Order: sequence, then C-alpha cells, then structure tokens
Amino acid sequence: MKIRLDREACVGHGRCYELAPDVFEEDERGHCRLRFETVPPELEEQARLGEANCPEDAITLEGEG
Amino acid sequence: MATAETETPKPNPDPATGEVDLFDADFARCPHAVYARLRAELPVARQSFIGNPVISRYEDVMWALRHPEIFSSEMDLEMALGTERPMIPQQIDPPRQTRFRKLLDPLFSRKRMQDLEPDIRRHARDLIEGFAGRGSCEFHREFAVPLPCTAFLRLLGLPAEELDLFLELKDGIIRPPAPPDRAAELRTQTGRRIYAYFDQALDERLDRPREDLLTWLTTTELDGRRLTREEMLDICFLLLLAGLDTVTATLGCSIAFLASNPAHRRRLVEDPARIDAAVEELLRYETPVTAVPRVLKRDVEVAGVQLEKGQLVTLLLGAANTDEQRFARADQVDFDRERNKHIAFGAGPHRCLGSHLARMELRVALEEWHRRIPEYRIAPGEVPLYTPGIREVRHLPLVFGPEA
Repeated sequence: MKIRLDREACVGHGRCYELAPDVFEEDERGHCRLRFETVPPELEEQARLGEANCPEDAITLEGEG
Repeated sequence: MATAETETPKPNPDPATGEVDLFDADFARCPHAVYARLRAELPVARQSFIGNPVISRYEDVMWALRHPEIFSSEMDLEMALGTERPMIPQQIDPPRQTRFRKLLDPLFSRKRMQDLEPDIRRHARDLIEGFAGRGSCEFHREFAVPLPCTAFLRLLGLPAEELDLFLELKDGIIRPPAPPDRAAELRTQTGRRIYAYFDQALDERLDRPREDLLTWLTTTELDGRRLTREEMLDICFLLLLAGLDTVTATLGCSIAFLASNPAHRRRLVEDPARIDAAVEELLRYETPVTAVPRVLKRDVEVAGVQLEKGQLVTLLLGAANTDEQRFARADQVDFDRERNKHIAFGAGPHRCLGSHLARMELRVALEEWHRRIPEYRIAPGEVPLYTPGIREVRHLPLVFGPEA
C-alpha cells in the first residue's frame, strides 16, 4: 500500500498522528509527516484510519492489500 | 417564548422569505432539523434581520474555507467585536496570516499541550470531588467554566484568581449584557479595557520575564524582528475571546447529550478507550461553534446563487457537519463511526489554533467525569438552557446516581 500526503492541504488537525502514530508523525508545527512511502502490511489498518479521519482529505492510499 | 393559541410559530427557515433565524432559542437547543431544511431547500439562505447569505452544505462550506482569496477574513472594522484593529491571526488573510500561524502553531501543538495534561487532570478531579458527594451540580458554573478557563489563564500567565474579571471582559464582547442599542458602546468600552489590561501585562513581562505565553510574545521573532506591541495585543485579544468560551460550550453540549442518552453514556463507562472517538463524534454532532463569517472579495456563485463582492457570508459549520453527502447516517451519534472528517474546528488555513488543547481537555474531562460519576441525568423537572451563537448550555442541573 502506497501512501501520499498533500502537504499543501495539511493544516495540522492532527487526527492522523493521534489515531495512527506508527504511520504518521507530528512535525514541529503539528503538521503531518509520513513515516513511510510504502506501508508495511501490519500497519495498513492504521494508514486507513489516518486517511479516514483527515478533514482536508490530504492523505491518499493506493494499492490496498 | 409564549405563542398565542391562534398563532402558528414561524417556520425556521421560512420558505416564504428564504430567511433563517440563527439566534432562535429552539435553534440553539436543537439545530438539526433547521440544518436539514437549509441543506435540502435553501443551500444559500438569508440570515434574518441582517439579510446576509448563509451557506449550509458541506461541499460549499468546505470550498469557502479553502479559498480565503475569495472568502476573506478581513472584516470591516465595524463587524469586529469592539476591536480597534483586526485580531491576529483570525481576522487576517494569507500570506500574512500564514506567517503568524507558522509562529504560533508550535506553541499550541499537541506535543506542547500534553505538558499541560497532568495539571488539567488534577483540576478536573478536584472540581468533581467538590460536588460528587452532594449528588448534584450545576455543570456550567461548577465544571464547564472553571476547567478550561483556569487552564487557559495559566497557559497565558494570567492570574487564575482573576477568572471572573476575564469572563466579564470576554462576555462584554461576545454577549454584551446590554440592550441592543447600547451593545456596540459596551463592546467598544470593553475592548479598550482588554487592550489596556494586556498592554500593562506585557510591560510587566518586559520588566520581569516569566515562563508564560505573554513573555514569549515579547521575545519571539517574526521574519527576523520582534513583534510590534500592536501585533502582540491583537493576538492577546483573540486568545482571550477564543480561549474562554469554546471548550466550556463543548463540555456543556457533550454532557447534556450524554445525560439524556444513557446507552451512549454507559458505553463510555464500560469502554473508556472509546472516549477519543466520542469526543470527535460529539464535536461533529453538536458543533458548538455553529458558524464562522467571511467577507467576499469578488462575485461568486454558490449552489446556483449569485453572491456579490463585499457581502458578509455565514458558513454554517454545524450544518456541514451533519450533511449526509459527507457523513453516512449523519443524524446518528455513533461512537463507532470510522470516518469522521468533521470541521467543528474549521478547516483550511484558519483551522482552530487551539484544537489540540481543546481535544486534550475534552478527553481528560470525560475520562475523569465518567470515572467518578458514571450515572447522571438532567435534574427532574429542569430544562437545560442553550444560548445561541456559540451553542452553550448556560444552565445544566444534573443529579447523580441511577434512576430511582
């Protein structure tokens, strides 16, 4: 599963790193930083949680397992 | 509000005029039916008395929030609330707004707010112990106000003992206790007092720096220079207004809902891990900050309606948050909702700076509350009193323990 972040769209709601801390981390501003480009299978569920709760639709997932 | 027996209450919104009354008492208590009618029949309605456009569909509200170059926050000063200059960063647009957010965001990040959690948790416990044994409380005055407001004052470095003064200053702007023709005057006077208070507080920090946000304002740098005194004051004014109302309102709406919905309440008692999701779902459903204003920088069409440059537009976040086009079973409060992209904290560049602080406080409050008071309900015979604008439950009498 590939994961992409639209950094222009991210405004730091922070739901991604709150819900899925193994996939998303918080930068100094509180914006999202991806830990992976390709998500390991055991973290796909977390990646989905992050995507599902970003109000800006800044996270996209491709090739879900 | 008494109605003569022969009179039919006016529908809200009124299909005959396309008008919606956002300050109606019934709307404050229960906005969802009004939201539904707006989205379905009047996606661009007119606000009663003022006549400005009100936008309610998720798609349109979100588009507006993402396009500050069209939907600007730079309001005419008479729209401002007793201020002499725009509040920073709320009433300015990108790119200037962006520079201030880059400066302020780290200070209000989730990481930084986590440092405040132990004190807030302790305070929540103390407040609850103060009334748990009594078997009842008035939630607004005894919990919803003191918990977030004390935390906020501590963050800024303002004396917690002066809470009543700050509440008076804040209410003097947001809900001036004056008849409508005197309200503007009271706001202006209150505004002057707010600037004066912070001006003095900032002088004191230059004299004797401390570990607080006000001191930080005097030493931080924006684009390689210190902030001007006016910029510092314009930030302080916003923090005062934004920090003292919103979490109080959310706590009241949330507990009022849970007091009336035993199955939801018991879920949180049985499974405290659900509280994070419950906070988000209650934010979505209740959306205490119902609406945000913008002013149009050019003509634009929304939902087939032509809007004009210069018009003041109301974006109804509460209606967007319950739009079936975005949220499955939008009218259901579901603590297991998997996709919750709510915009109770706004969206786009003006996403609420305090959202991480608010979320932490709400989570801690619900955890500590349900740990100590698992069963509670509205006191028999009492009706919670909701105020319009920012939906707040001003009077919320609760009794504790299982129903007799």
